[in-house]
Amino acid sequence: MDSKFFKLLLLGGAVRFYFCRTPLAPMIGNRVEFATPLNSHKRMQEGIFLLQSGIDPYQGDLVHESPLILSALSGLFQKYPNFLPIFYIILDICTAALLYAMSLRFVKQKQDQQDVERKQYAKDTEELQFGPLDKLDIPELVIVAYLFNPLTVMSCIGMTSTVISNLFLAFFFYCLVKGMLIPCLLVLAFETVRSFYPIVLIAPLLLVFSRNSVRRGVAIAVLFIVGCLIVAVANYFVLNSWNFLDGTLGFIFYFRDLQPNIGLFWYFFTEMFEHFRTMFLITFQLNATVLYLVPLSIKLRKEPPTASNVMVHGFVVFTFFLVTLSMMGALWHLWIYAGSANANFYFGATLAFSTGQIFLITDLLFAHVKREFCLFNGQKILIDGEEARIVLK
Amino acid sequence: MYPVAFVLLLLVAFNAGANLGRDDERFHEELVVRPLSGDHVNTYFQFTTRWHYGEKDNLYHTQLTPRVIAELLQQFAVKELHIGLTQGLWRYETWGYPIVEATSGAEMWAWFSGANLTNRDVDSQWKALANVFSGVLCASLNFVDNTNSIAPRHLIRPQFMPANGQRFVRYATLPREIVCTENLTPWKKLLPCGSASGFASLLNSGHVHNTKYHSLGLKVRVLCEDHDEDNCIVELTQTANLVYDLRLFELSNNDFSLRRLFGMGLNGYCELAESSKIYVQRNELGERYQLVPEPVHEVKTTRGGHSVVYSVYDMHEQFKEAGERLFNVAWLAPKSANRRRNLAKPSLPPVTVHRYLLGHGQERGRIVTEVTNSHYDALPIMLQEVIPWYVHAYLHTLSIRRKPQRVNEYGRQRLPFKLLHYTPGKQRELPSHLEIGFMLPGQTSALISIDVDYLLLKWLEYPPDANHGHYIGSAIVSSQLPMGRNYSALPPEGHLFEHSFNATRPSYVLSLHTEALIVSLPTPDFSMPYNVICLACTVVALAFGPIHSVATKMIIVGRQTSAPKNFVKKIFNQIFRRGKAAEEAAAEGEGLPAAGAAASDATGVASARPAISPGGPSGDQPLLEDLDEEEEEQD
Repeated sequence: MDSKFFKLLLLGGAVRFYFCRTPLAPMIGNRVEFATPLNSHKRMQEGIFLLQSGIDPYQGDLVHESPLILSALSGLFQKYPNFLPIFYIILDICTAALLYAMSLRFVKQKQDQQDVERKQYAKDTEELQFGPLDKLDIPELVIVAYLFNPLTVMSCIGMTSTVISNLFLAFFFYCLVKGMLIPCLLVLAFETVRSFYPIVLIAPLLLVFSRNSVRRGVAIAVLFIVGCLIVAVANYFVLNSWNFLDGTLGFIFYFRDLQPNIGLFWYFFTEMFEHFRTMFLITFQLNATVLYLVPLSIKLRKEPPTASNVMVHGFVVFTFFLVTLSMMGALWHLWIYAGSANANFYFGATLAFSTGQIFLITDLLFAHVKREFCLFNGQKILIDGEEARIVLK
Repeated sequence: MYPVAFVLLLLVAFNAGANLGRDDERFHEELVVRPLSGDHVNTYFQFTTRWHYGEKDNLYHTQLTPRVIAELLQQFAVKELHIGLTQGLWRYETWGYPIVEATSGAEMWAWFSGANLTNRDVDSQWKALANVFSGVLCASLNFVDNTNSIAPRHLIRPQFMPANGQRFVRYATLPREIVCTENLTPWKKLLPCGSASGFASLLNSGHVHNTKYHSLGLKVRVLCEDHDEDNCIVELTQTANLVYDLRLFELSNNDFSLRRLFGMGLNGYCELAESSKIYVQRNELGERYQLVPEPVHEVKTTRGGHSVVYSVYDMHEQFKEAGERLFNVAWLAPKSANRRRNLAKPSLPPVTVHRYLLGHGQERGRIVTEVTNSHYDALPIMLQEVIPWYVHAYLHTLSIRRKPQRVNEYGRQRLPFKLLHYTPGKQRELPSHLEIGFMLPGQTSALISIDVDYLLLKWLEYPPDANHGHYIGSAIVSSQLPMGRNYSALPPEGHLFEHSFNATRPSYVLSLHTEALIVSLPTPDFSMPYNVICLACTVVALAFGPIHSVATKMIIVGRQTSAPKNFVKKIFNQIFRRGKAAEEAAAEGEGLPAAGAAASDATGVASARPAISPGGPSGDQPLLEDLDEEEEEQD
């Protein structure tokens, strides 16, 4: 740990603190791009208020936060509402610190692995290999990318519960890299019961801990299911009712709220013919979970968490994000407030944004595969004296 | 506090019917004419049928009571039913309180009571009941279901008897409903004489629907002796409450008459009616009119310290002598009064309500209800809100702010809740239901506000004119007045208008309706379903394609194609490619046989990872392949 790390953390905190005190904060908390039905601060407040008034929050469909979180935070929300921004900033900084520790450890592991494999590498690939400096540079890059990413800053000052999810996920990866199975399982089970999609992270978990033994894998899967059940039962005891399952998992799976957000589903299901809805719902949910989970975990089985923490933006993708995000604000205003545009405009922006995200992910994946290839085959491959092109086939 | 008083009062209600012998059935018709301020005239028709049917089996043989009402009691566990079909808005500030309350559009509530009744039974009975009356009254009541109905907890109180057992209540409004001739005609058919004779003959649709406010009401209740289910009375009350604007008659003076209001005079009374009376208010704004013909009877009633004088025309007396003629009453204003006819200021009712929607845009807003107490003393106020499912309400933003009546701005002063009942809404399933109670100090206004979000609905859930907006039904505000000023409602134990005469009580239950609201929800583009589905699927495919190929394909090295960057040249190149490619294929086939072999080896292994032999790549040739060539080979 060097002083630069602490300076970065402090700076990240200061940036957040500064924005919290500007009128930007309440505006961000209300923006559809950051506050979705699942993570909005207002809904969290409502859930806690209903819980405190003795009304089951999951009877209605405004609250989708898990009962444990609601009851854990209710004291804070009710008694010290003024300190909430600080609380969220601290959570976010913890996340950054965990990410730093995790990537430090991860880079070290990679370097160890590299030392073992070095003999097989091609000659001109030194720049692709981890150098001694990377040990500090990469973790720094990671926390800079986290702390000063406008999206995470906005999420934090808008006090969305994404901050809490990020903390849990960072903790999950930290435990994963450290090789601590039980905390890992518990955090993942908690997050899965809370918001369903983290279930895809079971794949890296299995890959890391099963160590190619099927029996161990099955045991871990069973443990995970038991963990989920324990978390669900713990949630049950908060309200003595199972309503929360439908309010959280059911809500996410059936996509009941068509509130516009940064994704694509909202308009898709708004314009969907009712009799096709079920089919597309299942197709898209499969698409989001199983469809990519299985092939990618086979492909990337050697380094499970890689895909999720390499944060390198290509210039094109970065520009894409910048332009679409600012367009979204403008088009939203035109649609909702000025009435001079319609939903298609905003949908167009979200479509472009999603395309940008997809480019980012596929670029990262391809870059990873290519790096692997080049490490072993050399960077410059010449055919007839010309530089060759690397393609997937 | 309310219900106990009610049960006691209702005991009196049964006794009031004690003069009704077994199997006795009586019909009464009444008409009340009350001049209101601002050149308005309120005419209120009430047709009451009471039938002491005794036990349930007798309900199969109806006489005056319509068959559908009798069947209702056989089919459902319903004990009390209210339906109101209204067009227009009652102006409390200038007109005082109406005799029966109603909200714009359709409103319906019912009490159910019976042995072994469950909530689910009540839900299905409620829907069936709404469907029955949808047919009976030709109204869209069939749209009443669980998505817009609530079970009020405190505000709506039972008026049936015995109400001390297990009971359920359901309430719904359809603010969008438009009330017209097609509702009036079937409503008149429920009367024993139809529209042929009696007061109902005055209700001609052409004139009724010219009014500023018209409200048709239907109320059914059952009164059984406490321990005896076989000793029951069914009471059907049909009301028509109209407000005429005299200025619309384009008269040179302020005179009006029954003929002027309804298009014709009265042709007699309903032969089946026990009593048939017209009450004309003579004091306050009615004071300046001279009546022709002169009324024979006059009644002075004092209720809660407030006196009203009514002149009474008994139709049985008027039509004693046989002969075809029409009866007409004319109100003649003194000539000198013409110039200052608008100057008469009404006394402000003790409680008035208004409702507004704050905020702009189609994203979020705030529903605000303002209750003003102009009485000198504090009054208990209860408010019931039904917020439809397409609007999300945030309970934690609910607040009551207060201000002195004369001050314009609301400050930071808050009022505490005495009572709060809330059931959160669920999209497409349940409306949000809010009831709050608080004490409103004298000469004070309270502003009750709650934040709401507007939802984007599925494209087929929008009504035909989507940008017209969606309605939020009116809120009901209830209070207990210590005095009877402006108050003319029937006491709960009475069934005729004349029962409100001299009906002094410790307190008077008042219920008011606020205005309904229209919210404009965000709308999708209705012409785009195919485009949206195609575009979204394209993006999903965009993700699927590369991820699929990363996951399943292997890396190979291809030759930098010499394809030109220029688009036109590219096309040009494409056209002449086939021949070239064939030549190249021939050349490559000779030149690099090893590459081809390596490639086929790798595909044979079908490994997801690039082929890396354990011995290291140093000895091996990198996988070389020309893409185009590979295609050719496969062909």
